[in-house]
Amino acid sequence: MGRAEAGVGARTNWAPALATYFLDNGLEVVLSPERSSPTIGVGVFYRAGFRLEPEGRTGFAHLFEHLMFQGTSKVPKPHFGNLINSAGGLLNGFTRHDYTAYFEVLPSSALEMACYLEGDRMRFLDINEETLRNQVDVVKEEVRVNVLNQPYGGFSWLWLSQYAYSTFPNNHNYYGEFSDLEAATVDDAQEFYRTWYGPGNATLVLVGDFDESVARELVQRHLGPVESRERPHHPVLEEPLPSRRREFHHTDPLAPTPQVAVGYPTAPFGHQDHLPLALAARLLTDGASSRLQRALVQERQLLLHIGGGPHYPIGDSFEFAGPALFTFEATPRPGVSTDAAVLALDEELAKLADQGPSDAELERARRRELSAYHANNDSRLGRLRELGIMAAVHRAPQLVDELPERFSRVTPEDVARSVRSWLRPETSSVLHWECSGRKGAGR
Amino acid sequence: MSGPRQDSVLAAEVPTPHTVPPLRIEGVSRAQLENGVDLMVVRRPSVPRLEFRLTVPAGASLGPSGAVSELLAMGLPLGTATMDQAELSERIQDLGGSLQVHQDHDSLVVHAAALSEAEEDLYQLLAGVVQAPAFPADDLATERAKLLEGLRMARATPHFPASEALQQAVYGNHPYGRPEPGDTAVRRTGRKALLDFHHQSFSPWAAQITVVGAVEPRRTVARLRRAFGAWSGPKRVARAPRVRALPGGEMLFIERPESVQTVVMSARSGPSHGHPDHIPLTLATAVLGGGFTSRMMNNLREDKGYTYSPHARLENHLQDGLATATMDVRNEVTGAAYAELVYELSRLCTSEVPPDELETTKSYLAGVRVIMLQTQAGLASSLAQIRVHGLDHHYLERYSKQLPSTTAAEVLLAARRYLAPTAMTSVMVGDPGSREGLEALGRLRVRRPTRVW
Repeated sequence: MGRAEAGVGARTNWAPALATYFLDNGLEVVLSPERSSPTIGVGVFYRAGFRLEPEGRTGFAHLFEHLMFQGTSKVPKPHFGNLINSAGGLLNGFTRHDYTAYFEVLPSSALEMACYLEGDRMRFLDINEETLRNQVDVVKEEVRVNVLNQPYGGFSWLWLSQYAYSTFPNNHNYYGEFSDLEAATVDDAQEFYRTWYGPGNATLVLVGDFDESVARELVQRHLGPVESRERPHHPVLEEPLPSRRREFHHTDPLAPTPQVAVGYPTAPFGHQDHLPLALAARLLTDGASSRLQRALVQERQLLLHIGGGPHYPIGDSFEFAGPALFTFEATPRPGVSTDAAVLALDEELAKLADQGPSDAELERARRRELSAYHANNDSRLGRLRELGIMAAVHRAPQLVDELPERFSRVTPEDVARSVRSWLRPETSSVLHWECSGRKGAGR
Repeated sequence: MSGPRQDSVLAAEVPTPHTVPPLRIEGVSRAQLENGVDLMVVRRPSVPRLEFRLTVPAGASLGPSGAVSELLAMGLPLGTATMDQAELSERIQDLGGSLQVHQDHDSLVVHAAALSEAEEDLYQLLAGVVQAPAFPADDLATERAKLLEGLRMARATPHFPASEALQQAVYGNHPYGRPEPGDTAVRRTGRKALLDFHHQSFSPWAAQITVVGAVEPRRTVARLRRAFGAWSGPKRVARAPRVRALPGGEMLFIERPESVQTVVMSARSGPSHGHPDHIPLTLATAVLGGGFTSRMMNNLREDKGYTYSPHARLENHLQDGLATATMDVRNEVTGAAYAELVYELSRLCTSEVPPDELETTKSYLAGVRVIMLQTQAGLASSLAQIRVHGLDHHYLERYSKQLPSTTAAEVLLAARRYLAPTAMTSVMVGDPGSREGLEALGRLRVRRPTRVW
């Protein structure tokens, strides 16, 4: 539609203010004031995720996330949640491969309380047998509801990496084997807390309706006194790329029809192909006009659904500090085999690698990214999440506001090259998700 | 609104805020087009985008069948006489935009967004989608296959059959209780049925458009008039009939062999927006199972460890509000967990919520409302929803004033009217072995699995 005249410079004028600094104890602080509504977002991102769990303690990073809501010596259970809710706020946390995030969204009057509570649980967490056993039970129910009692439970995000990688940090069960969860001890949790939850391994993000100088003072008052701890050593995550395609089969007694996932080791952060691959994900799978929807769902009628991208379906291009997969998930039409689906995917990727996208296709992907950037900025949680991940995982929070401009410099040839280099059949892992027919499934 | 409770066990140094700001929705303009389309435009220039919602009374309960309603919603993005679905999607994406169609019992909602510089183009595209969808036969066949697959997958979950059975048990023959479409109905639904239902239900007289974003309301109204002003259609507005409360109290157990958890859902039909009991019941439901500190959360999760995310809510429809409590519990504790739910319901109906707890819940609901209405998307969706009830932004502002003055006695009365454990209808889906603990708690009707995929 010839909209290139709307200059990127003008677009990024919409970026909210941003300031980054470090406290003496090593805590990274990111402040982004934006005062259009009387609300704030407060988040703490710890550089501690699934991939640093020790052997015999699978699922521990996520289990520990639960313990962070179980009270401290000063604010015992269940006062953390009560305080946030009675201030009119929401709270939650999430654990991913290379970080764990805790956040609150609140009316702006609760800024000091939120700073206090985050400082408090960074220092005085009360880890005891009773809450640990209770949360082991809760996490097992979480695994049952999300994985064991659902068809396709955990498909691709939880299972593909267990097949695709060869080393423990990358290929263990991130939700945790029940025997490992049950074996977790108070000592394990205290050790984990000491090692990974110090200020030097964390980023505090404040977004929304506050005055920057007031926020700096409150942060210093409530998080400044947290004792610094030794910086932990992160495990080595890199492993050699496979040299041929590997095929795996997983049987799901609850699934009514087969599906398939294909994972490709993807370009690391900072690589010249990293941003082009984010745009490739958009133009391959986003919406009815995307290449794969159009070719495989509408024209060739091989699939009913296909989705994909870096870290799909639980993350995006910026989620990971080490190796990551660019993943596709597809549902073949009745009568079409998962092999045929993978073959067709290979063909479409080869076309993109050979010819690259058209200018219009690429511009469309960029405009979707730009629109998503603005939509994120409109939400406290959206802005908080983007800044927190970019800071905690890559030490580059300012990049969030530079992305629209950087995407505008990606060329069709960059996209073709990145697809050629990374979305190659020979490095990929294919997971055929099969139904057993045991419960009367099948056609 | 008073601040959070200061318990003696809390360290004195914990700083506590004392106010949830009053809710104000500013920059609202209203207009009606000559053909009846009702417009609400809110200037909220936080980011250079806009959110668009168009609602028509073409919800899941209003079509000639469930299959027709669902396929109508799935069929709208398939393009128009002049544009196929890929081209439509391209042109929307060129605007930095998106288009989805959602459905609830009462309404079909066209849910779109774009960069605000592309406002005029977005309306022009949407006007085509809404007024002259093509439902091309080939693409429709694909959508039917997707719907069949989606239903097969849904039936393999424990939650879908549970909520389907629950709605049937609560609503009986009322259209809100209509079962999900069967495979045969989906296969038989053709283009003609969609065109007929579209013709009947997509009337400008029944359509409401809500726009929130970085827009100039006067210019926006003019643009909407250019796009939607020529739309014509019958002057009729369909709505679901009044809900007649069924006696309730039934316990239905649906067998799902080898299930590793039991899904428990309990519900009762109550009042919707505007009814004097609505705010007290919203509060009662939130005390029971809203947020991180509700009674279900504290008892069933944080004390007993029976379940991961127990919750309760009041789901607002045009003709009623459905109060529901839901949890997934492991097999061995199914009976014990249900007994705790009955206990929590009984407690709500027999003693007043203590002042601290009531204050916490009020602040939580008020705060969540402020947070939800903070984004263009959240504000647009909330306004569109409330407008279906014939209410507007003043209602949302009033709600935030009435909430603090609601008394514990009013909450108790609402709980007695709508959350009495003996009047709740409950559905459990789980392994037959989990029935044992439940049988002592009431008369259980058992349904064996009738339908495999």
